[in-house]
Amino acid sequence: MRAVAGCLQVLQRRLEGKLDERAVELIGHAVDGAARMQTLIEGLLAFSRVGTRGGDVKRVELELVLATAIKNLSAAVAESGAQITHDPLPAVRGDALQLAMLFQNLLANAIKFRGEAAPRVRVGAVRDGADWRVSVRDNGIGIDPEFFERIFVIFQRLHTRTEYPGTGIGLALCRKIAERHGGRLWVESAPGQGADFLLTLPAADPPKADPP
Amino acid sequence: MNAPLTPIEILLVEDSPTDLLLTREALEYSKVLNTLHHVTDGLEAMAFLRRQPPYAGKPRPGLIFLDLNLPRMSGHEVLAELKADSDLRTIPVVVLTTSKTEEDIVRSYEHHANCFVTKPVDFDRFADVVRSINHFWFSIVTLPPPS
Repeated sequence: MRAVAGCLQVLQRRLEGKLDERAVELIGHAVDGAARMQTLIEGLLAFSRVGTRGGDVKRVELELVLATAIKNLSAAVAESGAQITHDPLPAVRGDALQLAMLFQNLLANAIKFRGEAAPRVRVGAVRDGADWRVSVRDNGIGIDPEFFERIFVIFQRLHTRTEYPGTGIGLALCRKIAERHGGRLWVESAPGQGADFLLTLPAADPPKADPP
Repeated sequence: MNAPLTPIEILLVEDSPTDLLLTREALEYSKVLNTLHHVTDGLEAMAFLRRQPPYAGKPRPGLIFLDLNLPRMSGHEVLAELKADSDLRTIPVVVLTTSKTEEDIVRSYEHHANCFVTKPVDFDRFADVVRSINHFWFSIVTLPPPS
């Protein structure tokens, strides 16, 4: 990608002043196209790697996972003025790296698909038998129930990339990770009412007598 | 039928700004004088064709170029709705897509696409394909009389 984008940008520099508006526009499209291809390839690699079973299943502290995800998104958080808060989060059984990817994608979406207000995201967890049901709730643009299943299908998007950038891989990846953990991922939402992404994950500890 | 002297109206349903630009470039090489209208998704396409706001004064296109990979409402869904509409189904639909999967081809024809064309990656070939499409549909084919 660097070769493609780099050469185009050098070309643009060398031809400074000699290119008409349409030519400049075309080079812009080419450079953007190269960047998008890069993102797409990275996303597809991540997606295909989730499938390989045999990764170590360990005790994973979700608070650490969340902290990692938030740290990876520090630029987007700062730029959007996002506030991400959470209830005490439990330990689950799974793959820490994959879970970090899952939370990072959900949080990135919460930030990206924001409304007029700065993004507010709340992460909580409720015990459900042998599982924890984790909720990632935002105050963004929300989703029409008509599209509740479509958004989890790879490459299916609800917006053009000029409206919101994206490859259409993120939620498919999240669902694949959830399923690999023996859990489920789904959404509750309404247009303009934010979205609540719900996820079940196997608990690492037996249920306590009192709620945490 | 001879090539018309007034520009023919084409509706392009395409969400990628890059593909829009490339299609416009390709159409400039076409010998058939054409006016390109553009919408970025299926819902907008239906609104345009039904002349609903903000498309109230828009002309009825003589040809529709339809991408399959669209947000919100896929090209297949648009095609199904178009061909179920007794007024709109007489407008020829050329599915113009990057896809070459058998599933997409079969589904498109099952939904009565007039034809299925995979966009060549190479621009020169793409320009040739667009020119051929226009030549075929507007210089060779007899289109239905205006409704």
